[in-house]
Amino acid sequence: MVWARRGVQTLCLALFFWLFWKARFYDEGPPGRYVDAFFDLDPLVLAATWLAAYAVPVAALWALLTVGVTIVFGRVFCGWVCPLGTVHHLATWIGRVMRRGKPKAQPYSRGQNAKQYLWVGLLVMAVFGGHWIGVFDPIAQLTRVTATVLYPAVQYGIEDGATAVYHADPHLGPLHVTSVTEPGYRFMRRQVFVSKRQVFSGGVLIGLLFVGALLLNLYRRRFWCRYVCPLGGLLGWLSQRQMLRLGNAPNPCRECGQCAVVCPAGASPEKPRQWRAAECFGCWNCVSACRFDALAFSFGLPLRAASEAPLDLGKRATLAAGAGGVAGLLLFRLEPQNQGKTYNPALIRPPGSRAEREFLKRCLQCGLCMKACPTNGLQPTGLDAGLEGLWTPKLVPRIGYCEYNCNLCGQVCPTEAIKPLSVKDKQAVRIGLAAFDTSRCLPWAYERECLICEEHCPVSPKAIFFRPKEVTKRDGIVIVVKQPYVDAERCTGCGICEAKCVYKDKAAVRVSSANESRHPGNQPILSGSSGDGARLVPSTGGDSGYFNSQTGGTEGTGSSPYGS
Amino acid sequence: MRDEEEFRMMRDSRRDFLKRTAMAGGAMALGPLGVSAAQEKPLDMVIMRFNGGQGGPVDDDATVDARAKKMTETAIETLGGMNRFMKKGDSVWILPNIAWDRIPAQAANTNPALVATLVKLCLDAGAKNVKVGCNPCNDAVKAYPRSGIENAVKQAGGDTVYLDPERYKDYDINGKRLRKWPLYPEIVESDLVINVPIVKHHSMARVTVCMKNYMGVSGGNRGQWHQDMPACLCDITAFMKPSLAIVDATRILTNNGPTGGNLADVKRLDTIAAGTDIVALDAFAVGLLGHKPEEIATVAAGQAEGLGKMDYRSELGLKEIDLA
Repeated sequence: MVWARRGVQTLCLALFFWLFWKARFYDEGPPGRYVDAFFDLDPLVLAATWLAAYAVPVAALWALLTVGVTIVFGRVFCGWVCPLGTVHHLATWIGRVMRRGKPKAQPYSRGQNAKQYLWVGLLVMAVFGGHWIGVFDPIAQLTRVTATVLYPAVQYGIEDGATAVYHADPHLGPLHVTSVTEPGYRFMRRQVFVSKRQVFSGGVLIGLLFVGALLLNLYRRRFWCRYVCPLGGLLGWLSQRQMLRLGNAPNPCRECGQCAVVCPAGASPEKPRQWRAAECFGCWNCVSACRFDALAFSFGLPLRAASEAPLDLGKRATLAAGAGGVAGLLLFRLEPQNQGKTYNPALIRPPGSRAEREFLKRCLQCGLCMKACPTNGLQPTGLDAGLEGLWTPKLVPRIGYCEYNCNLCGQVCPTEAIKPLSVKDKQAVRIGLAAFDTSRCLPWAYERECLICEEHCPVSPKAIFFRPKEVTKRDGIVIVVKQPYVDAERCTGCGICEAKCVYKDKAAVRVSSANESRHPGNQPILSGSSGDGARLVPSTGGDSGYFNSQTGGTEGTGSSPYGS
Repeated sequence: MRDEEEFRMMRDSRRDFLKRTAMAGGAMALGPLGVSAAQEKPLDMVIMRFNGGQGGPVDDDATVDARAKKMTETAIETLGGMNRFMKKGDSVWILPNIAWDRIPAQAANTNPALVATLVKLCLDAGAKNVKVGCNPCNDAVKAYPRSGIENAVKQAGGDTVYLDPERYKDYDINGKRLRKWPLYPEIVESDLVINVPIVKHHSMARVTVCMKNYMGVSGGNRGQWHQDMPACLCDITAFMKPSLAIVDATRILTNNGPTGGNLADVKRLDTIAAGTDIVALDAFAVGLLGHKPEEIATVAAGQAEGLGKMDYRSELGLKEIDLA
């Protein structure tokens, strides 16, 4: 049974990475919704997103399956399926192999209730519209870590390693090392990675936090799953009356304690009457470890307590947890920006993103859009969106622009914080507006030909155009230079001009979030002309549109098959 | 080296060409097989048209591709076959314009059938391998498949290569503007590089054809070249020592280039030009967009630098062929 579990765990982890890899644009076009399978199985995502946004993609209802399985079998999701759980399981195993000495039992401690309080707090926060679940949720977390840390690091290592060999070309007579490394390099580059190598600002922090979480396994086996994971907590809460129960059978217990030594969950298998269903991963370690055949899982009647050691959270502590969630939300909203008082020019959201408040109510900070972005332009936000918007995606045009014919970020977003728009609808969305810095721009400031920005502008007719300007140079020679301008009616804010600008430090044409379709309150430039149907949206001050998108026709409803 | 020798040979025989072109003018309408008179000395340039280049619907991919294939095959045959430019076991790099995430009908990238036909011709001529790629402006992951080139090349038996930003190497260009510049070694070190641009409008350079297409070999902050485009393009062209180029004018982009996007800006001409003289090919191509070669700074500079002749009609061994 333990080997069956290990097999399933391996498969699920492989499946997770495969789905992650599939979140890419290739010959066959964008992938289907299936790349979000693990998110769709996650009831915490379902609960928090529904509570915060009153809406979820229909596919997210798969999470009810997980709920059903948990009510019958307990936390088998944690023990058998969860890819983050498997990673911690592996880390635990490696830690045990590396440390000498016999492993000791790590009995239950009341601290394990922390994860219960965490999900209570997060869900209460969600009721009031705060969605910070993704910071802790295991699926979102592992996706984020894989996207911003593991994947780029592996690509960096493999490609630079192979390239170093390629340039050095070590060989013994006709035998070149490159004849081995080059095919591997080409395969990885072509089939596994995106051609533009991805790097993420702030990825190092995400990575360090993750390494910290892995190291905690040295202190307690599967520390994260046991103490912190809010999904584990929620599933544990659901499994208090699970039908699959541990008991002493068929032989009597000899009290050797081996089961407690191998239990990674602190679920007290050594005293089955005190067995803690809310902690147990259903990993079968205890049953396998028992030399006397004195432990077995068997089915009991539904709706009865699974053992004599119920989950004891305490009313006051639970209330405090909920109050903590509310307090956290209030703290988040102390940022002027998170009340819609200001708009951050650097906060250029991916195309199809909902109005900021609605966006934050759904975004899981999972980073799948960043992984999918073919230009690497989508980056984890630090504090630009307030702490509430930590690790949410923003476009950084200096790193990469928004590809005109690409709608991938919206296609892979598990909670539709970025709407799954068709390419045509996506092309009509403005995410910002370009502006020239005429004190830097070469034809403006230094009387030189340039126009790289105009060359790359993807809309047709181009949003960047030029006017020939006669200028007298310092030495008296008169020349004509082509000075570029932005047509605000046509600019979508894709940022390719900023990305390709000849300046490498600070571009002479820069995009800000102004004019973004999702925020009528952030659209300074009146478009169209009187009577042509482009009418003003009623504006009630700076925060208009912060809470809801009310764009008139510029933002298509897209091809979303999911309710919203 | 081989290229240089051939060039010298061709320059020496240019006077002969002049005489012959006078005759070839009459033989112009004879079609691909009526070339026997001109066959003794290799031609410099071939202009191919289908039905006089009158074109048709721009989005009729099947017809455009079929004609591109036929014209390419005939053009190379007329120039003396692929073995004039390469020998068995050579590694060949085909350098089309695949810079943009655009479909073939939008005429921002080279026609895929033209590229695939060249791949096939090179392989038939015994090429060890035929690689296709350039340093694109949009991401290769998007541009290569959407251009149709990736698939067409694969079916023809070639390889498309996503250039790796870490693999450029600085080469001594020793030009007027470019002293050293990062280029892609896999391309530069190929035995034969076939330059296969498409004819497009370009605001800054006004037109982009062969010389401009060599930007696809270069890395670095190549946007800097915009500040002195003619000099930079002459330097890179001289460095690349072109021996064969095919200009794709099956469809041309007349406005909003080089990105395009709007089919209204695309004109279908069912025309290609192939030859050994890059300046001549560029001079021919700018004419398609209504310019005189001497108006285009890059072309004029190319002639001034001795990279080729603008006046391809009187100075080169030219043959114009009309297919139907």
